[in-house]
Amino acid sequence: MDVERIKFERTGGFANMRIAADLEPDDFSEEQLSALSDLLDKLDFAELPENMVSDPSASDQFTYTITVEAEEWMHTVVTGDASANEKMQELLELLNRLARNQMRKR
Amino acid sequence: MHKHSPILCIVPPHMLKEIAANGSEIQKRMAVDTINASAILRAERLKMAEFGAVFKSAIAKAAGDGKERIVYDAKNGSSLPGTIARREGDGPSADVAINEAYDGSGITYDLFKDIYNRNSIDGNGMRLDSTVHYQKGYDNAFWDGQQMVYGDGDENLPVSERLFNRFTIALDIIGHELTHGVTQFEAKLVYSQQPGALNESMSDVFGSLVKQYQRKQTADQADWIIGEGLLTANVNGIGIRTMKAPGTAYDDPVLGKDPQPAHMKDYVNTIGDNGGVHINSGIPNHAFYLTALELGGFAWEKAGQVWYATLRDKLTEKSNFQQCASLTYQTAGELFGTGSLEQQAVKNGWAGVGLNVEGGGTEPGGGCLESLLRFVGAAPAR
Repeated sequence: MDVERIKFERTGGFANMRIAADLEPDDFSEEQLSALSDLLDKLDFAELPENMVSDPSASDQFTYTITVEAEEWMHTVVTGDASANEKMQELLELLNRLARNQMRKR
Repeated sequence: MHKHSPILCIVPPHMLKEIAANGSEIQKRMAVDTINASAILRAERLKMAEFGAVFKSAIAKAAGDGKERIVYDAKNGSSLPGTIARREGDGPSADVAINEAYDGSGITYDLFKDIYNRNSIDGNGMRLDSTVHYQKGYDNAFWDGQQMVYGDGDENLPVSERLFNRFTIALDIIGHELTHGVTQFEAKLVYSQQPGALNESMSDVFGSLVKQYQRKQTADQADWIIGEGLLTANVNGIGIRTMKAPGTAYDDPVLGKDPQPAHMKDYVNTIGDNGGVHINSGIPNHAFYLTALELGGFAWEKAGQVWYATLRDKLTEKSNFQQCASLTYQTAGELFGTGSLEQQAVKNGWAGVGLNVEGGGTEPGGGCLESLLRFVGAAPAR
């Protein structure tokens, strides 16, 4: 899968600290890029429902908005901590780390 | 079921022994059979009694006879609830986060039970489950609809870059998360816009009261800070929010400035943060603070009673700030008398944030649609 760009935003949470970043392949190490590609494949990201925030009784969880732009498709998914499965959690952790690095460099 | 001789089964044991020793052959046999059967029956009765005690204890637990806590350890993973680390009655762990989650949920239970006569989150003895060490570098705590979850902050970053400590560090955070559970079982305030900000505010109010209750502080002695100790020394801030002076908790080059308003005239229209639930909660937070300060003494006693009864009996899923103001005023009248000092303090508290308890306060203007239009620049800014 040739990912061209990822837009990542994390909002909400107990402290309500927003994190956002536009990530391009150059922002990833080779190892991270391989992990990203693997996770997107395993999640079948392009086919995921757009809104995956399923539990209305959850409070203070983060809300994540991920837009993946690949060569032939673009897809946005909104998810939360409580509704994310294990692979999605891994993807969120990776993107969160990279987004924070990018924000720190600014 | 054992069969018994209709005569011998009512004969006292000492007499049976005599018959077994001195009776005819048939009398001896029947007496021995009866003695054996009685022994079996006694054993069964004993078993039934033991079972009854266990059953009674289970029923009592299910009905919520006393607090019941479990703290789990996610071991930096994402699976919930994780591995059991400390159960109710266990001694302290060597892990500080486990002990903070255990003690914090315990004192939160105590406040609701001792002061508001509420038996746990659901009012019926629900077990308090907490998970600590959730994920790596997870700078958050949340209520997932069933349990409390706490991250360790920025523990995966170099010390000089850390912004957050572990989220169990502040007792009011634990009280805050647990109160989300109470709201879920009572008013069920939807987590968006003003009902969501009221949901957040209720959690801050009772989170702060848990801390004050533990410290035995009066309203004027309390710091009214939410998340004191959560920010590291790298951040210019005293906490995440302050009910005393919303908007002044932090002002930092990395985190930015505390965005909370303290008055309806500064209400923030936004689509982020579920419509600003952690932002506009500053307004009802400050109304509670002003009420409690005017009443004096322990804030959990009068102001807390009014807010709790309103949360339990009056607020509904879509209640807004104006309705909350009017309903707390009404509740204060019911609890302390119409025209009482308590009711007047509630009125003044809301007036201090721009809301008239009889309606007609400063409206934030517009709803979701206007917020959206303003956000995209299609409506004039206020």
